[in-house]
Amino acid sequence: MKRFAFFPGCLIPVRYPAMEYAIRYTLPRLGIEIVDLEGASCCPDPIYFKSKDKLSWLAVAARNLTLAEDLGLDVFTNCSGCTATLSETYHLLQDEALRAKVNERLKRIGREYRGTSRVRHIATVVRDEAGYDAVRDSVVRPLEGLKVAIHYGCHLLKPSRIMQVDDPNNPTVMEHLVTALGATPVRHRNWYLCCGKACQTDEIPSNMMRDLLSTVSDVQADILGMICPTCFGQFDFGQMKVSQQFGEDFHTPPIYYFQLLAFAQGMPYQKLGVERHRFKPECLRRFETAASPAQTE
Amino acid sequence: MSKAPGDQGDLVRVNFDFRRELARKVEGNLAGFCYQCGACVGDCPATTYGSDFNPREIMLKVLYGLGEELLVEDSILWQCTNCYNCHERCPQDVKPVEVIISLKNMLADLGIYPGPVEKLINMVETTGRTTPLNPAVDRQRARFDLPPLPPVPMEEIRKLIEPASDAQSSPPEAGNPKAES
Repeated sequence: MKRFAFFPGCLIPVRYPAMEYAIRYTLPRLGIEIVDLEGASCCPDPIYFKSKDKLSWLAVAARNLTLAEDLGLDVFTNCSGCTATLSETYHLLQDEALRAKVNERLKRIGREYRGTSRVRHIATVVRDEAGYDAVRDSVVRPLEGLKVAIHYGCHLLKPSRIMQVDDPNNPTVMEHLVTALGATPVRHRNWYLCCGKACQTDEIPSNMMRDLLSTVSDVQADILGMICPTCFGQFDFGQMKVSQQFGEDFHTPPIYYFQLLAFAQGMPYQKLGVERHRFKPECLRRFETAASPAQTE
Repeated sequence: MSKAPGDQGDLVRVNFDFRRELARKVEGNLAGFCYQCGACVGDCPATTYGSDFNPREIMLKVLYGLGEELLVEDSILWQCTNCYNCHERCPQDVKPVEVIISLKNMLADLGIYPGPVEKLINMVETTGRTTPLNPAVDRQRARFDLPPLPPVPMEEIRKLIEPASDAQSSPPEAGNPKAES
């Protein structure tokens, strides 16, 4: 087992515990041990709190990283926003002057940031530590014929020199992870678009989401594969809102990748926690009764 | 178009005070490297799907020091989607999105936030999370065999986010990150 400190952030443990449940179900099956971080706070969020004062934002983020440093472990996150904050902090605090300034603040609480724990996004932990083959081998319920429109979102990939996850112009990590489930990734014309959550007007996110969902409909995807909980909200509640606003009938159910993986690994549909989703991934039910030749449990 | 000699009515006078203050923010000094090529515009979703937002124009206003056009209620800065495409595309490493966030830090110094933004910041400052805990959250978590979430050690967070006591009196040295503390 490879051990990683788990930084859960706010949105998943508070609003979407089913996603956390799926993470805790799937990672051990891929040989990854989750070590909980005691005393973690909000990352803090890279949109709002960062807008108030970047230095306070760095100080709180650095405190979270020191918790992983205390354990001598690299840290992984399950939210692209948390990854953005913690990765950017790790990157910016390589600057000695800025690090000294942040450590001045950390000294107030008897802590020191040393930069010894790397920050990883959960998708890259699976890719680099377990590997796509291990994902494929863990699947007992191949999702054959399921067309998944992947939404990468922004902060998983950009800024690429800081995130160091994949090529932002032509990423492949999620395609490989979806293919490993036996499903078929479908890339639509607007695959690279933002979810619009951070924008403080209605016009821009609505227009963008309408354009994006039209192309998802065009490629007849069965499901939207999400890797960020904030994007998920935009495609769940947001999809309903945009449909009403423009008189459209968008209805592609979004699901967090690790819930899809959990289902492919044999988790019952009822345990996915999709009752509260505006768009239920009923299309998955046909796989529940499918024969499972790879069944080992 | 003719003008009397010495009539500079249409000339923009660069407000260096504004630029110096912006430069005191983390990465706020980067706009100085902008040569107005517009690479940030083509991939900007707020430009594509909105009607007013243009990151190149915002950088130009910063270069001129036109703070009074940017640091206002309902500032156009809040239309930024924070997608980081401009950060990715800029040939000069200006990181327009980071300059915009530094400008928002200046707005915050003036106490100007959109309502939803202020609400979230307050939430983090008082609870350590963007999303509030309540008994229903713990019940939801229990359904998935997850333990209740522990409270965040707020005493530590409060100490961390308190501004340095001498922050106001520091000399305005552009681009020098040591200038603030």
